[in-house]
Amino acid sequence: MTPRLRRALVLALPAAWMLLFFAAPFAIVLSIGFAEPAEGIPPYAPLLRRGEDGALQLQLNMANLQLLLEDPFYAEAALRSLRVAAVSATLCLLVGYPMALAIARAPEGWRNTLLMLVVLPFWTSFLLRVTAWIGLLQDQGWINGALLALGLIEDPLRLLYTDLAMYLGITYCYLPFMVLPLYASLSRLDPALLEAAADLGARPWRGFLAVTLPLSLPGVVAGYLLVFIPAVGEFVIPELLGGPGAQLIGRVLWTEFFQNRDWPLASALAVVLLLLLVLPIALFQSRATRDAER
Amino acid sequence: MRRLFLLGACLAATLLAAPLAAQERVLNVFNWNDYIDPYMVQRFTRETGIRVRYDVFDSLETLEGRLSAGRTGYDIVVPTSEPTFSRLARAGAFRPLDRALLPNLRNLDPALQAQVAASDPENRFGALYLWGTIGLGLNAERIRALAPDAPMDSLALLMDPQHARRIARCGITMMDSAIDVIPTVLHYLGKDPNSTDAGDLREVERALLAIRPFIRNFSTGGAIEALAGGQSCLAFGYSGDMIQAGLRAREANRGVAVQYVAPREGAQLWFDLLAIPADAPNPEAAHAFINFLLQPDVMAAITNHVRYPNGVPASRALVAPEVADDPAVFPPEALRARFFTIGPVPQAAERARSRVWARFKAGR
Amino acid sequence: MSAAPGTAIPARSRRFDEPWRDPAAEPFLRIEGVTKRFGGFAALDGIDLSIYRGEFFALLGGSGSGKSTLLRILAGLERPDAGRVVLDGQDMAGVPAHARPVNMMFQSYALFPHMTVAQNIAFGLRMDGVPRAAARERVAEMLALVRMEGFEARRPAALSGGQRARIALARALAKRPKLLLLDEPLSALDKNLRESMQFELQSIQERTGTTFVIVTHDQEEAMTMATRLGVMDRGTLAQVGTPGEVYELPNSRFTAEFLGTANILDGVVETTGPAGTRIGSAEFDMAILSDAPAPKPPGSRVYVALRPERLRIDRVDAAEARHGENRLAGRVRDIAYFGDFFMYHVELDGGRVLRVSQPNLRRITERPVDWDDQVVVTWDGQASLVLPE
Repeated sequence: MTPRLRRALVLALPAAWMLLFFAAPFAIVLSIGFAEPAEGIPPYAPLLRRGEDGALQLQLNMANLQLLLEDPFYAEAALRSLRVAAVSATLCLLVGYPMALAIARAPEGWRNTLLMLVVLPFWTSFLLRVTAWIGLLQDQGWINGALLALGLIEDPLRLLYTDLAMYLGITYCYLPFMVLPLYASLSRLDPALLEAAADLGARPWRGFLAVTLPLSLPGVVAGYLLVFIPAVGEFVIPELLGGPGAQLIGRVLWTEFFQNRDWPLASALAVVLLLLLVLPIALFQSRATRDAER
Repeated sequence: MRRLFLLGACLAATLLAAPLAAQERVLNVFNWNDYIDPYMVQRFTRETGIRVRYDVFDSLETLEGRLSAGRTGYDIVVPTSEPTFSRLARAGAFRPLDRALLPNLRNLDPALQAQVAASDPENRFGALYLWGTIGLGLNAERIRALAPDAPMDSLALLMDPQHARRIARCGITMMDSAIDVIPTVLHYLGKDPNSTDAGDLREVERALLAIRPFIRNFSTGGAIEALAGGQSCLAFGYSGDMIQAGLRAREANRGVAVQYVAPREGAQLWFDLLAIPADAPNPEAAHAFINFLLQPDVMAAITNHVRYPNGVPASRALVAPEVADDPAVFPPEALRARFFTIGPVPQAAERARSRVWARFKAGR
Repeated sequence: MSAAPGTAIPARSRRFDEPWRDPAAEPFLRIEGVTKRFGGFAALDGIDLSIYRGEFFALLGGSGSGKSTLLRILAGLERPDAGRVVLDGQDMAGVPAHARPVNMMFQSYALFPHMTVAQNIAFGLRMDGVPRAAARERVAEMLALVRMEGFEARRPAALSGGQRARIALARALAKRPKLLLLDEPLSALDKNLRESMQFELQSIQERTGTTFVIVTHDQEEAMTMATRLGVMDRGTLAQVGTPGEVYELPNSRFTAEFLGTANILDGVVETTGPAGTRIGSAEFDMAILSDAPAPKPPGSRVYVALRPERLRIDRVDAAEARHGENRLAGRVRDIAYFGDFFMYHVELDGGRVLRVSQPNLRRITERPVDWDDQVVVTWDGQASLVLPE
């Protein structure tokens, strides 16, 4: 095998992966987004059709896109989802940063155990964990039971099916995605830097702000995105824990796909959502790369 | 593109289904959860030697989503007549029933068959399995304590804010299903339950929003637990679910009594039909299963177990007396006369309805 | 008083007024009985040391000798388990690192990678709330001191190793610390750069008048730069003195071997007095004479250290090849060529090898002593360093 061929193969593998598992599905979803709904299996008309003269015709249906842009319903749901994702990611950051910092500063022998504990919940089913929260939060649940038994409240608090429960659930489920990249960037931090800051007169808190925090920013950004992106499309947790008022984009997609059986509209919505997420991140990435090169 | 997509789905289906099918005769059933007497499935295998792989769904949307993609690998599915069955039938999702293989079809009640024919012309694709209504599950004692003057047999219990406001204190659970609730509300408001008129829908929305503050939660499957556990004293949902809630409450023996009421304004009637997907891998076994189910003693056992009436009149004599005499399971003729059925709605109207539903749930 | 890089600076002890010899002089830094344990291991075991204002003091030792721990205690980055540190009359106990008038140049330099050179140097000033303009002025001053003008806006990643060292030094000096600590400051640099940086450190130390304490494992570095040095061994100070004192008059076998090369012979003191010492060597059946009095009374076992450069080597006939007073006979087994000198490995009878260095005065081909030559090694009485066992 020539080096050139080997290089080509090395590049071909990830390219094939991307093609097979991202580009091709994306193209399929995109093409359905331009189709017209129809009764049939699958429930939309093919894009390429033989016209009456026997020639192949490509029919692009722009009505889906138009509806998405014109009907504020979708934009509102998208905005609500972005807000929920932002709040969740921020909560994860606030909870996850001290955790990651504590693990990174723990004695060497403890770190793997602590990291293990962070990842441990992943060993049980996601649904099981969310359901466990229902058990905790419901009117007859553990929390209300404990508060009632202590005489702190007289009527059970409304915890389940609220925004609070939804944020709790999302923060809880996504926390490891925040802690792991934060830990990675914090543990790489040379402890001498913080000592240097202290040596130069920085009190611990100022040293943290001036050195630890800015140097862990890549981890913060990575963790934030890792939580934010899936949280935007999160469907299960708001459905199981959240109040009925939370019409998030994931639920809207579900409704379009399953309830209204409008695959083309659902596909168009999925594509728009993807672009909404990917474009800003791509812009951010290219700027970060440019900054790094400077 | 489309071919590629189908290829993928097909590949997945064959990979899952093929190896077992090659070794022995297997029947793949996709039914509602808690919707059969498990002993009857065992009996079918014993009698025919066909192994049954039994899979369940909990919403019509799940079933329809799967069947719309095609190549599910299922031999038997149990969609509800409207809107799912009729829509899938028009889309060509089902294989016509081979009457020669189904001698027991003649056990079915001709009057019910005629009603089903509105969704399935000439009963070509579906065999009636179980049916029921949508109505109120209630804890009469607690409601009476809060609203002594409320009519216990009327939808007004739920739809009239005067009553709902007071009942809200002991909990109201609403099924989370636009396709079931909106026709009922249209009917309650004196409109055509199949109406696609925007004005009618606005009235539905207004009526629903008026009672929104009094609804504790939205859940279709969860209503059983909510009623039986006493977290709710009023629920709107499928008759069988409400009856099962009553059974469970009695078993728990904690002083909670739940009953089902088909509202006097007229309850929405639904039929669940046994159908064979067009691409079923084993249609012969599917026919055998349908024919097996349509025997009176099998149907009686199923009704005893799930508390839904079936379409085989001869089974009535074999049903346990406390079930047979329960007017909630087998509604009296006078009440049945006021039942109504719904028909298909165009897609644009579906979206308008799901919007109404979304705003209702959000309370906006 | 400044020196251009590369110009040799005369030995420090000659120009420094040597306050440690003055019993009335008040030490600037007093380290008293400082002990530090990590687990059961004593990293520092009762260190006592006085350092005077303006000194350039080197802590020299191998890894694990405790030299870095002592430095970190001075910086306030570690807390001693016992003992105290008094700086300029102020007891440092309970003074946290950020409040000490002490700055440190870290071994890795620990430059903040997300800040520019100017921001790095100004960091300590910013923490002290020095006004912006004043800080800018001080940064410029520091950059001039380390001859790095024009590098203000660079990031540390865009600097070479030597440039980083200068910036780290500038940053540590920016706050005019009473005491500057340097932790192996030049260990990351290659040999030539290290030598020029040594001179520069020395020159900057003289110009700023700051008291420097440097930790190093490099004896050459310590000898060239320091006014005094302390040799550390397993948590204790083995010897403190000027480089000349420690090299010429080591007080132990450890110091003699750690600083420079030493041939060690053992023997028993026969006679000793102000006029000199006579030591009998049982191993070679000869006597070693020393000009200095022995540290132990007659009859004690002692070591005699012989520096290779203090030994003479001569080719002899077989008849003359015998041991005598300050005379050992052997055969050349190996000659290591170092360019400016040769190191002869002379095998004595019994297999012991004596290292003898000779300046490279002639061309290789004309070497007076060659492989396998029969030789005698001789030395003067002042070359015999008598050390307690």
